[in-house]
Amino acid sequence: MPINTDIEAVDEIFQDGKVVDGFILGTEVHRGGMASLYSATKEGIDVPILLKIPRVGRDQPVESLIGFETELTILRSLKSPYVPKYLGSGNMATHPYIAMERVTGRPLEDSIKEGKVFTIDEVVRIGADLAQAVQSLHSQGAIHLDIKPENILIDDQGKLTLIDFGLSHHARFPDLLAEEMRKGIGSAPYISPEQVIGIRSDYRSDIFSIGVIMYELLTGELPFGNPQTMSDLRKRMWAQAFPPRAIRKEIPRWLQEIVLRCLEPRAADRYQSAARLRQVLLDHEIVTLTERADRVDPLSFWDNLKRMFRAAGYEPSPSPRPSMGNYDAPLMIAAIDTRQSDADLRERMQTTAKNLLCAYSESRLVCISTIAGTPTFEGNHESETASGIVRGHLVQLMEWAKPLKLPPERISYHVLEALDPASRIVEFAKDNDASLILIGASHKLPNKVTPWRTSMTKIVEEAPCSVHIVRA
Amino acid sequence: MNERIGLFADLHSNLEAFDACMEQAKELGVTRMVFLGDIVGYNADPGAVIDRIGEMVANKKAIAVLGNHDQAVFEDHSKQMNASANAAIEWTKSQLNATQVQFLKDLPLMIQEENICFVHASAHNPADWNYITDSMSAWHCVQSSGKTYTFVGHAHEQALFYQSAVGKLIRFAPHPGDEVPVMHHRQWVGVVGSLGQPRDGNPEACFAVFEPELEVLTFHRTAYDQFTAADKVRRAGLPEDLANRLITGK
Repeated sequence: MPINTDIEAVDEIFQDGKVVDGFILGTEVHRGGMASLYSATKEGIDVPILLKIPRVGRDQPVESLIGFETELTILRSLKSPYVPKYLGSGNMATHPYIAMERVTGRPLEDSIKEGKVFTIDEVVRIGADLAQAVQSLHSQGAIHLDIKPENILIDDQGKLTLIDFGLSHHARFPDLLAEEMRKGIGSAPYISPEQVIGIRSDYRSDIFSIGVIMYELLTGELPFGNPQTMSDLRKRMWAQAFPPRAIRKEIPRWLQEIVLRCLEPRAADRYQSAARLRQVLLDHEIVTLTERADRVDPLSFWDNLKRMFRAAGYEPSPSPRPSMGNYDAPLMIAAIDTRQSDADLRERMQTTAKNLLCAYSESRLVCISTIAGTPTFEGNHESETASGIVRGHLVQLMEWAKPLKLPPERISYHVLEALDPASRIVEFAKDNDASLILIGASHKLPNKVTPWRTSMTKIVEEAPCSVHIVRA
Repeated sequence: MNERIGLFADLHSNLEAFDACMEQAKELGVTRMVFLGDIVGYNADPGAVIDRIGEMVANKKAIAVLGNHDQAVFEDHSKQMNASANAAIEWTKSQLNATQVQFLKDLPLMIQEENICFVHASAHNPADWNYITDSMSAWHCVQSSGKTYTFVGHAHEQALFYQSAVGKLIRFAPHPGDEVPVMHHRQWVGVVGSLGQPRDGNPEACFAVFEPELEVLTFHRTAYDQFTAADKVRRAGLPEDLANRLITGK
């Protein structure tokens, strides 16, 4: 069942002077491996227009069509001052093209090729602008995945535009490039370690690429070279880039810290949002200097060997959603004792939860309750999703949360199985990076020692976050 | 005006969810309704839901296909269903009049249009009620339907399977409200999700809208009064877990 590629060859439809869907074609301004670019005009559109036409047809590889379809899907959905405006597209089956705003500005690649030496300030400026452009994609759920100097246009005023979304990923659209035959698609010098092994859903890959570009602009060299083989590509999973300050002394320590942090093999060790990266670039007083800032020598042979062995078990960090790269959405856990029947306490806990949720408009609440035993599952196909026991607890949690009137995206419910509820709750808080645990101080009788009470003390002692104890 | 097809599956006698979704479909400018089977079962309003759909079908505003729970009303399915589902079918039989049963009996297993196939479970042996949950089952389905678009229900969770470069079908979990481009040079299987008994942890009712000219498919979730629907289930004497399911969406 191959994809239909029975499309007329590009050259037969798109020629200078022809009119396609009202677009009057001008000259061909660029011809690449995957697509040709034509200038164009159209009545009613007063910005310069560029028509991107994929090199598809009977004689062309199917990859260029997939890249084209990906770019069309993603470009059409993006609204960003750092991305060319989408202006229209042609029928995929007969005359595929994407019409977009023709952005002025030269590719950063051209300046690099000319041998331009960038000042520290210029690099910081470009890095910060790039981070801002990338953040505007991430906040919309898109990841560029092919950030390289060729795809960055900078105009006379210094305004930056990102182009070419043919390899991009968008959390809200099917990833047409998923499970492709080749792993590590993208440009060898700039792709992140997780891209090398085929992961396309980690927005922090873009932060790695920004690090490579800043490194290149500062030192004139590529931190991991331009590998041509898979085994050379994999080196970035463990290798440390040669410290930039060893190449160019005037690079401040804080800037080396930032660049090397972007280049960390594990995504979780990099800056966790492009917004944060921009912030540290623009206000270096807030940069926390680590040993990265002080590196002057490359790693010894033995250190490299150690890192290589560690990387043999390279496990990419879990990929959060692109739009989660932001710290203003705290997660709160309400540990609800479903056995407890104190109506006053129940009401007080509900009010507390409500007030806390009001304080942070993006916060989310997770209601949890623990059960001791393993519930028995029904063996039937239709209903093997959850047992009656768990469901019973869920109903109680939902009834508890009903008066809070939260939209579904701000609340979720979990019934945790555990012999030791406190440890399980602490573990759950750790796993989910919770900011706060809300528990009720049940049992008014001081001499009444119950498991839940010891649980409370244990949670307070061991929790990775704040604990709010509610008293009626 | 461009055609907008509303796709609704696994309604399961949930009148509150049904009315809420019809209301939203109207607001979205849906021009034609397709009911992808399992009109009855599980919940408390089988007669009312059949009557509403029957009227739309009679007025040529909608088409509908047969689901396994609909078939269970007039054929024995007790061995394939769990206790709660069976109890609900027995109760449903006691609630329906002859006209309503006849309406279910007259439903076709599958409807094929020029580019689209509508079926409850899978276009691959539709009477076997196979679930489309993975790449393989989706592949069997498109192989049998041979159409660009196949829309199904049966599996209660919303999903979109799309054909990759190597022909394999890949599962995508859609986000409600997003217009997903579904260009016609690929084959697609849309699992529209359950209107009357969602099971993905979100109690909101599922449906989808397909716009053939624009080649766009949008999945939707609609909030409705699941507490009232659950109360009706309890009052009808149906199994408690069926009521809880509506509240939890699990």
